[in-house]
Amino acid sequence: MTRTRSPRTPKNPPSRGLRPWLGWALKLSLVGLVVLAGFAVYLDAIVQEKFSGKRWMIPAKVYARPLELFVGQKLSRDDFLTELDALGYRRESVANGPGAASVNGNTVDLNTRGFQFYEGMEQAQPVRVRFSGDYVAELSAAKGSKLSVVRLEPLLIGGLYPKNLEDRILIKIDQVPPYLLETLVAVEDRDFYHHFGVSPKSIARAIWVNGSSGRMRQGGSTLTQQLVKNFYLTNERSLTRKLTEAMMALLLELHYDKREILEAYLNEVFIGQDGQRAVHGFGLASQFFFSQPLAELKLHQVALLVGMVKGPSSYNPRRYPERALERRNLVLDVLQEQGVATAEQVEAAKKMPLGVTKRGSLADSSFPGFLDLVKRQLREDYRDEDLTEEGLRIFTSFDPILQMKAEASVNDTFKRLSGRKGSDEVEAAMVVTNPETGEVQAMIGSRQASFAGFNRALDAVRPIGSLIKPAVYLTALEKPSQYTLTSWLSDDSFSVKGADGQVWKPQNYDRRSHGTVFLYQGLAHSYNLSTARLGLAVGVPNVLKTLGRLGVSREFPAFPSMLLGAGGMTPIEVATMYQTLANGGFNTPMRGIRSVLTAEGEPLKRYPFQIQQRFDPASIYLIQSAMQRVMREGTGSSVYNVLPKTLTLAGKTGTSNDSRDSWFAGFSQDLLAVVWLGRDDNGKTPFTGATGALQVWTSFMRKADPLPLDMPQPDNIVQAWVDSRTGQGSDAGCPGAVQMPYIRGSEPPPGPACGGESPINGETVMDWVKGWMN
Amino acid sequence: MNKWLIPAVTAVALLSGCSSVQRGSIPVVDSGTNVSNSERVSANGGYRQTTVKRPVQPQAQEIPQGDTGVVVMVPGGGAVTSAPISTTPITPGPITPGPITPGPIDTSPVQSAPVNQGSYSMPSTPSGIPSASSGGLSADEQLDGPVLALLTTAQQQQAGGDLNGASSSLERAQRVAPREPQVLYRLAQVRMAQGDAPQAEQFARRGLTFANGRPALQASLWELIAQAREKQGDSAGAALARQKAKVTS
Repeated sequence: MTRTRSPRTPKNPPSRGLRPWLGWALKLSLVGLVVLAGFAVYLDAIVQEKFSGKRWMIPAKVYARPLELFVGQKLSRDDFLTELDALGYRRESVANGPGAASVNGNTVDLNTRGFQFYEGMEQAQPVRVRFSGDYVAELSAAKGSKLSVVRLEPLLIGGLYPKNLEDRILIKIDQVPPYLLETLVAVEDRDFYHHFGVSPKSIARAIWVNGSSGRMRQGGSTLTQQLVKNFYLTNERSLTRKLTEAMMALLLELHYDKREILEAYLNEVFIGQDGQRAVHGFGLASQFFFSQPLAELKLHQVALLVGMVKGPSSYNPRRYPERALERRNLVLDVLQEQGVATAEQVEAAKKMPLGVTKRGSLADSSFPGFLDLVKRQLREDYRDEDLTEEGLRIFTSFDPILQMKAEASVNDTFKRLSGRKGSDEVEAAMVVTNPETGEVQAMIGSRQASFAGFNRALDAVRPIGSLIKPAVYLTALEKPSQYTLTSWLSDDSFSVKGADGQVWKPQNYDRRSHGTVFLYQGLAHSYNLSTARLGLAVGVPNVLKTLGRLGVSREFPAFPSMLLGAGGMTPIEVATMYQTLANGGFNTPMRGIRSVLTAEGEPLKRYPFQIQQRFDPASIYLIQSAMQRVMREGTGSSVYNVLPKTLTLAGKTGTSNDSRDSWFAGFSQDLLAVVWLGRDDNGKTPFTGATGALQVWTSFMRKADPLPLDMPQPDNIVQAWVDSRTGQGSDAGCPGAVQMPYIRGSEPPPGPACGGESPINGETVMDWVKGWMN
Repeated sequence: MNKWLIPAVTAVALLSGCSSVQRGSIPVVDSGTNVSNSERVSANGGYRQTTVKRPVQPQAQEIPQGDTGVVVMVPGGGAVTSAPISTTPITPGPITPGPITPGPIDTSPVQSAPVNQGSYSMPSTPSGIPSASSGGLSADEQLDGPVLALLTTAQQQQAGGDLNGASSSLERAQRVAPREPQVLYRLAQVRMAQGDAPQAEQFARRGLTFANGRPALQASLWELIAQAREKQGDSAGAALARQKAKVTS
């Protein structure tokens, strides 16, 4: 305007009327266009940046141990089928295609799915497994050729995600099952293959509907727009957003072809909520609802999932099965109408049940206790972002079958003991390991095992009571010139004055003295007086050193009361300690993780098996022998009311003052379990180690059916005949003679023969066989 | 059209911070409301408990057979001649210890498993491997089934320079047959190749505890211990192990 007033431009006076307005409009339009173009460029950058880069943060996936199959393996057919069900194997009359199984008596035919492991690829293959008793008797390929070892794919037991995070299993568009793409397009966006990202037809319809109702009700979104909305934008419902969405949809279609867009959609779409975790994409949805890989889904399952896209919450098949079924069948009708499926196929699919996995089944359980352990071990090596974004695959030693058995044992036992006053407030924790490999196989951190929260197995530090006693006796047995299993111990009462001036006067549980006992009896019957005397004789610091060598890193003050377990430990620490006893004196750091692969299946990290010899096998042999006596004749003897006598076990009960803690720790050859019961407020419980924790332990061992303990006899161990009353050397033929193990040189001199023959006779063998059969 | 787009553009630009969208900042929201926790946190009541079947007629139990070398001892068959429980019946005198008098050693069977007194119903080695007492040969030909297959795989991986893979396969073999000293021997060898002499020695020592009656294998294990000790600078210990290797072979 100022220019027009300039005296140097009189020749062109400003024109009046419409012209300036038009000029303004033109200028504004130009600016608008430039801005719009700039906005488009900006949107385009966003569209491309996110779509071409890493599209999603994928939480790390945690897998259970893969089930190994080989001839001679101890595995019952029922457990095997439980695992197959959890892995979503379809039962078919003739196993056909990966993920199918057919059961015929003791023979199971299945088609494994194949999986990428740390050591390499396990190929998908048809396998025949024949069971005999609780063993795998035969393993062969389809053509009858023998297979030496086969691994099933591992069960996915969870992921590592921060709160409120989306989880997904990425899939490729060529991995989808038949009908999925057609169904999705038929139900959500029929013009998908023909539009350019937006469908004017649907928009017009949406405007009409919304306009007449006065509210935003109908979307009219194409698949592309839905993807853009979920992928780039907020859920705000405004015209602005709608237009931005439309622009981005157009841009997306400009750069990428239909298949790429569809693939992104398949992975992005929200299909369900699992607590804090949002289930995204058809890959995870398939696992979440059917526990099957997406590629194996059949028409009726595809229809259900696609139907759920419209309203994942209202069509949740676990929550509203009827509504979900109705929606599924509606989708099936659409498919028939659109010619995607024939009338017969639709008819057959409609007859199928929803087929979602049952609540509480292995496939639909969570294992927060064990996952907590995995998380803690991973956090030592990885940053949180690596764990929640990079899609790492974590392979663990978790055994879902043992976990279910452990959980059932806790539940059953509490149910059985529910009559005891105060048992309702009692909490529980349990650790199950394989002593031969040092791997944690199952873990319970709470009486309600599926509740995440305070993990008592890892964090509850409680006085271990008599669980410490094996360390006292082992310290003594390492000095064979002074102590053997048949050394005499006094069980008379006494008191000592500690360095702090306090008088310590231990008592036996039954408040009585048991006179003079054999050393092993002090442990078997858990006598406090004889144990305390022995511990003081070998020295409290030495006992604590033994505890350290057993793998307990916690420091304790060298008070005499430590000898009876005044010190506190966590269940997992107890498991570490007993593992060294179970594994021939070789200590193994507890492992829950075997290896880590990248999202692409590349090996990333291994957690190798490590062992360290801490004790001479001979002294371990002796302490195991005494711990077997605990079970045969001592405080643990109630196990043989339930378990067969042939099952050699070793263990120890533990009870803290006033029964505030009820412990049992024990092992077979291949299975070690530690059970703790107690109250979080440290109140009194109605249970001792024997009446509480041991009951859970026994129930677990009955279900798990382990191998009997069988430590090879070390070279420097001799079996000597001794008189069962005097402990003096005896002869095999003498009355009352029993065989006891000694470290060579510490055995009593042999006694004179008594003239008898071998004491075996037919009758006793029969007695024994009868006992075995019971 | 253009006019109202200006504020829209500005708003969007402002909201977006004129930068690329940050990963993690894209809330994916849909119409679904949260399904309550209880859905997944349901009790485990639905778990079908497997009943533990114990063989009532052990003789009738079919034992896995074939060329796998599984050693399964059937009770009743071979138990008569073995000794460990034999002392039970004749024990006279006080069975239960009184409170003051010292109790006798309980004579119930303590199956602390002397090597040759097999009287169990169940195999003590869980897999298709020969029992440790079946001879002194340490050749691979003794192995069979899964262990042999996995050792072969590990061998190939080691030959291809994949020591981690070999290690992993051997640990897999160890899980299948935890007490097979040849597996532990191979593990020790691979640990040596990985430069972890201390663990090599430990695995060899563990192997020795399972190698009774197999002198050739014992000698190899001692030899490996000697090498591992040399690597750790313990020449005296190495010499001692060499001595053992000579004695046992």
